[in-house]
Amino acid sequence: MPVNYSIRMPDLAATESEITVLAWCVGLGERVQRGQTLLEVETDKATMEVESVVSGVLREVLAQPDQRVEVGQVIAVMETEERAPSIKRVSEEASPTAASGATATETPTPAATATKPARRGLFARNRAKKEDRSDSPERPGTNLRSVPGSAPLGTVPLLRVSPAHRRAAERLQQSQQTVPHFYLQTSASAANLVARRSACSGTKTAWDAFFVYAAARALKRHSRMAYRYEDGTLVRQPTDAIGVAVDVDDDLFVVPIADPASLTPEQISDRLRQLADRLRAGDPEAKRVQPAWMTVSNLGASGVESFAAIVNPPESAVLAIGKVAPLPVARENQIVIEQRVNLTLSVDHRVVNGRYAADFLHAIVHELEALD
Amino acid sequence: MTSTAEQPPRPINARGYDRGFLLGLYETMVLIREFEEGVKYLFLEGSMPGTVHQCQGQEATAVGVCAALNEEDWITSTFRGHGHALAKGLSVEEMLFELFGARTGCAKGKGGSMHMGNMAKGMIPAIAIVGGSIPIAAGMALAFKMKRTQQVVACFFGDGAVAEGAFHEGVNLAAIWDLPVVFVCENNLYGASTRVDKVMKTPTIAERTSAYGLRGERVDGNDVLAVHEAAQRAVEECRAGAGPVLLELLTYRRGGHSRRDACHYQPKEERERWLERDPIDRFAQALIAREDVQEDELTAIRDRVVKQFNETVERAKRQPLPSLEELCTDVYA
Repeated sequence: MPVNYSIRMPDLAATESEITVLAWCVGLGERVQRGQTLLEVETDKATMEVESVVSGVLREVLAQPDQRVEVGQVIAVMETEERAPSIKRVSEEASPTAASGATATETPTPAATATKPARRGLFARNRAKKEDRSDSPERPGTNLRSVPGSAPLGTVPLLRVSPAHRRAAERLQQSQQTVPHFYLQTSASAANLVARRSACSGTKTAWDAFFVYAAARALKRHSRMAYRYEDGTLVRQPTDAIGVAVDVDDDLFVVPIADPASLTPEQISDRLRQLADRLRAGDPEAKRVQPAWMTVSNLGASGVESFAAIVNPPESAVLAIGKVAPLPVARENQIVIEQRVNLTLSVDHRVVNGRYAADFLHAIVHELEALD
Repeated sequence: MTSTAEQPPRPINARGYDRGFLLGLYETMVLIREFEEGVKYLFLEGSMPGTVHQCQGQEATAVGVCAALNEEDWITSTFRGHGHALAKGLSVEEMLFELFGARTGCAKGKGGSMHMGNMAKGMIPAIAIVGGSIPIAAGMALAFKMKRTQQVVACFFGDGAVAEGAFHEGVNLAAIWDLPVVFVCENNLYGASTRVDKVMKTPTIAERTSAYGLRGERVDGNDVLAVHEAAQRAVEECRAGAGPVLLELLTYRRGGHSRRDACHYQPKEERERWLERDPIDRFAQALIAREDVQEDELTAIRDRVVKQFNETVERAKRQPLPSLEELCTDVYA
């Protein structure tokens, strides 16, 4: 006699954070074995697989990809022939997801129904979650219905964002609020850069690679840029890597180029493309935040002439590149058309002062213009 | 870092042993495996709170060593101690009750997964602090020696514990005073997610014993008979007063460090190589190679173990929890 069994999200998060559904590995109507992976989820720590606790057929899916779910929340319904395990809920209070719970009947053993519920909500962590659940998960304690003038429930548009987006948002907010930024703006001749890029056969060298190259070389005589401010002293960053900002499906990632001073722009470009491909392929290793002492960000492809970026902590600076474009400049009292590019260096004022940073930026320009 | 997984697993030779003894070893290993698997699903269902560190894949170490001990001997254990407990003789009942937080559990519901133990069965409640039980084992052995009781203590710890200061202190003390401790290092190649060759310059743990002056031996930890034989030798030496012995048992865990560990740091090929060296499968093959053991006997053992586990789970869910009045009982020394 088949019964419906509610599959609940197991307690996989290391901290009190939510779990996000990533993808279902089984389709509706498919037969599933106990122990088979049902879906993949993302916790604060890692991507994990959730195995089925019963064998049966998947009848309903109640959580969609990108949806945040709570521990204990019913995420699917399986039709099972086996005597479904009599679940002793950690807290005896009924789950508010009663709509789906009503169709799920778990086979009670006679002894279990006669039991005095000795296990009432003793596990504080789960209890706290249960109490919040009657309110909006986003704003515990606020009932949307009671807010005057708010749109009728169900019509407020919400745009769910990825965990990577949320992480970037938090980091950047913290940076803007705690790091004393100053901004230096200059432009460089991109003539040699363009020439070198055209001379290259095969895949064109990525623009960013030239700036990584120039910054790595400029660091040699401006080593203080590779320090960070910590508790009143300057600490050398643990790495010589320079990060490059990469956009993957609207998410911002920073891809580290290790040991850039030993590489040519072409080698840097290859490395950058490799890492960006791995990122696009969804490689979790590539998505991990890795240390660098500086980041390069390029919006030239989108037509931006110049911009100032936000320092990516704990780095000391970020170099923002605009588009390479032909512009009129004065050379020996004549107006000539030259390929130019704007660079804006945002700097953490706790690490270096304006003069030092300006010399560093000047050195970057020098390296770019000295390319052959 | 050479691991024995680079060579193909040597088939186990189960001849020359008493049939009943061998089936007993098999049953205990299957018991550990089914217990751990069952507990895993209890967590996935949401029935069981807390966290748990499981030992699927490492069954032969606990079973092989404990089979070489007498009832009067003792063991110390770790946060990954369900296997040790079952091998030493704790019942599925007292352990499941404990995992459900019941007052009738082996630690009265106050210990949980990481503190399994039963003083009446020769297992002090496990110490979850990495390396924490090593000096304690040395102290226990000192007591045995001073009281001239002929008892031995087997001290279980992992590869991660070897880098702890407590390892140095406990092993050194046991060495200088010839204390009857068998130091059992379950080297499963990972301390949480850190591979052992990143935290150790020497290729083996066993060779480090020469720095302390005791004998160290490296054993295929997934061969229950090899483990048992090495443990027997070690226990005999200890009882004879020859001093402590360290056994490095090479093994591998099939699951993550704890149940919230996705275990992505274990390379796929490595996992697959070790799956081929599964201790239970290998032993089953060795048993079937004997003419006096049939495959359906082994299946019957497994079925019996699973049935017992499931029945005990139902009872465990109905056990009483500690009352509020007992909040501070047994918690402070």
